[in-house]
Amino acid sequence: MTRVAVSGLGVVSPYGAGVKTFWAGLSTGECAIRPLTVIDTEGFRSRIAAEVPADVIGGLGVSRRRSRADRLALAAAREALADADLSPRDRTDMALIVGAVGGGMLEGEAWYWDEALHPGPSPKIGALRSILPASHSEVIGWRLGLGGPRETVVMACASGAASIAFGADLIRSGATPLALAGGVDAITRICFMGFNALKLLDPEPCRPFDRGRRGMSIGEAAAFLVLEDAEHCRRRGGRSLGEVLGAGVTTDAHHVTAPHPEGEGMIRAMREALAAAGREPGDVGYVNAHGTGTLQNDRVEALAMARVFGEGRVLVSSTKSLVGHTMAAAGSVEAAATLLSLQHGLIPPTANLRDPDPDVPFDCVAQTARSVEVEAALSNSFGFGGQNVSLIFGR
Amino acid sequence: MRSGRRVVITGMGSVSAAGAGGTPAVADALARRPATIAPVAAFELDGCASHLAAEVDEARFMALLDPDSVRRLSRICRMTLAACRTAVQEAGLGGGTRLGLVVGSEHGDFRSGGEFVDGFLRRGPAGLSPLTFPSTVMNSMAAVAGIAIDAKATSVTLNQETVAGDLAVARAVALITDGRAEAVIAGGVDELFSHVYRNLARLGALSPMGGGAPEGCRPYATDHNGPVLGEGATFVVLEEREAAHARGAAILAEILGAAWGAIPVAPHTAPARRRDARAIARRALDQAGIGAGSLARCYGSGNGDPALDDWELRLLEADGVRDPVSLAPLFGQHGGLGALRVAAAALDARAGSAPALVHGIARGGCRTALVIGQAA
Amino acid sequence: MTQKEVLDELKALIVERLKFDPSRAAEMTLETTLPRGVEGSLGLDSLDFIELSVAMEERFGIVIDEAESLADDFLSLDTLSRFVLSKVK
Repeated sequence: MTRVAVSGLGVVSPYGAGVKTFWAGLSTGECAIRPLTVIDTEGFRSRIAAEVPADVIGGLGVSRRRSRADRLALAAAREALADADLSPRDRTDMALIVGAVGGGMLEGEAWYWDEALHPGPSPKIGALRSILPASHSEVIGWRLGLGGPRETVVMACASGAASIAFGADLIRSGATPLALAGGVDAITRICFMGFNALKLLDPEPCRPFDRGRRGMSIGEAAAFLVLEDAEHCRRRGGRSLGEVLGAGVTTDAHHVTAPHPEGEGMIRAMREALAAAGREPGDVGYVNAHGTGTLQNDRVEALAMARVFGEGRVLVSSTKSLVGHTMAAAGSVEAAATLLSLQHGLIPPTANLRDPDPDVPFDCVAQTARSVEVEAALSNSFGFGGQNVSLIFGR
Repeated sequence: MRSGRRVVITGMGSVSAAGAGGTPAVADALARRPATIAPVAAFELDGCASHLAAEVDEARFMALLDPDSVRRLSRICRMTLAACRTAVQEAGLGGGTRLGLVVGSEHGDFRSGGEFVDGFLRRGPAGLSPLTFPSTVMNSMAAVAGIAIDAKATSVTLNQETVAGDLAVARAVALITDGRAEAVIAGGVDELFSHVYRNLARLGALSPMGGGAPEGCRPYATDHNGPVLGEGATFVVLEEREAAHARGAAILAEILGAAWGAIPVAPHTAPARRRDARAIARRALDQAGIGAGSLARCYGSGNGDPALDDWELRLLEADGVRDPVSLAPLFGQHGGLGALRVAAAALDARAGSAPALVHGIARGGCRTALVIGQAA
Repeated sequence: MTQKEVLDELKALIVERLKFDPSRAAEMTLETTLPRGVEGSLGLDSLDFIELSVAMEERFGIVIDEAESLADDFLSLDTLSRFVLSKVK
């Protein structure tokens, strides 16, 4: 049976460019959530986010004419491909699956604001050419010469994880030996305003699984994984950073924003992932939670994890406490975090967790990273619209 | 298919400028070929170089819906809902953890996005409507339809210009052959929205793109000068073949081959000389076990965009396929068009025709190929 | 404000913000129940209630703390209009 290795990794995060910088931030438990600068936040209750610093964006080596999200995506994709050390011929067959939601909306908004507030047509209209989520796949596919199946998956907060699940599927089915899969999202006014309007944002940095948690923090990032047929990787002398053991992709079909109150779809996603991986719940040592810090998500996710694993039977932590909720990138950023945890034998902490919610029956690795060797770890991503993805990684 | 699972088509639901309903409505539209492209009625286009579109009659899709249950749904969500519900009702398919959904769209719900930010631009933070925000993410159509048809397996939203519907069907086939679902409702949707229409025209993406020929949709013709937009939602019901047989479903056709890939060219370009190193159409034909010469016809994605038409003709020629047929003059370019081509091929198969190739190529290089024929 | 005045404002908000057909306003009385799952109610869900809360805050100049348990207050137009009156005072 085909096994799917991860042979390359690339990340641009609020900590900076590169996987090393990402891991340094996670392992030291540094919270990257700060006052927002890239958009005007006047009059809003929550005015913070985990933003990629301006000098980092400038240093990515991607043209300033590209949208912010395209720049993040291309830089992360390039790092992943360079990491995998593939030949040009390999790239011809390589699939490209991008999880995206905002696309180039930040620049599109600037144009729209311009036309709304000033008379006459705005010269910024060129921004519309890269506004759609599919823009990233076009830029990456072209720049990196990728000719395999190409898809842009828009599944809200689960997009980045779904892309990895589908990339792995393509390899297992034999459609292609290689897939570049990941997600990207840049800060946008619409996302910031929307979550504020829904009162889902904490005015302070989010506190997942804390008794006093009051909501999410937004972030931005891009992360891409090179997925490869393990045999193909071995034959060419490639290096494996870990394995995608299995994935579950389910839908609540319950409500457009609220999760099923008993986590029905979440439970199914986790169980499907375990079944696909041929693993028992006891084989999983760590869950990288969706863990947004909202009252509802954390409660329901904890319930679901308890049903699947048993209370207290896995270590849990939320990467969103460190780099915010990076939207379409979250699933792939957190997949990267999970792989790195396995590789280094170190579980990144849940930041800002001072008073654990007694209704969350798990050790959520409060504030300090934990040294633990784990054989398999699961990463959850649960999106608006009841989209649930659970990925299981092995060493 | 590698897994041994085979995929059949057991129903459809469609809302388009040519009508609304299940298989009979689609068959009727294809047979009668009503004139659907006309000057846009729904909004003003003063000062715009383009004026034509294939518009949907509101009353037609509202007739398929219960007004109370769609109270706060955006227009594009309503169209999606009408088409999806019609499709599952026609196929007699129940929901549950083995039913999936794939929705392709080119532009999603920009109408709701505009409404949402307009609230802020008019009145600041107090002007924002929490109710509208969920609709600003492109997966809202799938979320709404999924709840209505109880699609609890994998549900996916795909964004892609020109071939969103084709990609959705290809992705749905993969979900079934990979075992993520036993049945999948797959297709695409887009709506006409004044801002999107105007700005596409401003960017030179609509007919008339240049030259002296009048505005209109003339795919593959020597005087083609750009696409004409349409709107609507079309979904086909795909099922794993054994499961369809077991429940006694009426099978219209089988998907004999499905392949997709990309030709890595610069975004928004369609360079006629670029070849497809992976010969996507050939792959789909090989999966189907037939040669190009055995095809009854090819439904192409060409929509009158001159560069895209020309590129498609050359790519098809390289794979031994000639004289593609376009449905863009009947339905207009929109996310549902690829699913309409799949539907047309399925109806041909039902009528006893030899297999058809449903081919798609978009600017930027996304390419799809589906071979649809009679179910054995 | 009187309860009748509050009721009329609430009906206007429900039509405008929750996208009910204007003709439904005539049928709404103090007895009209709101939450989904209650027989004969308007069928409002959590998203509707968030929208309504935001609209009420703006229209009546009140503050609604989402941490409070508001299920009883949002049961009917009677309980909701009393809730508004208690906040306005």
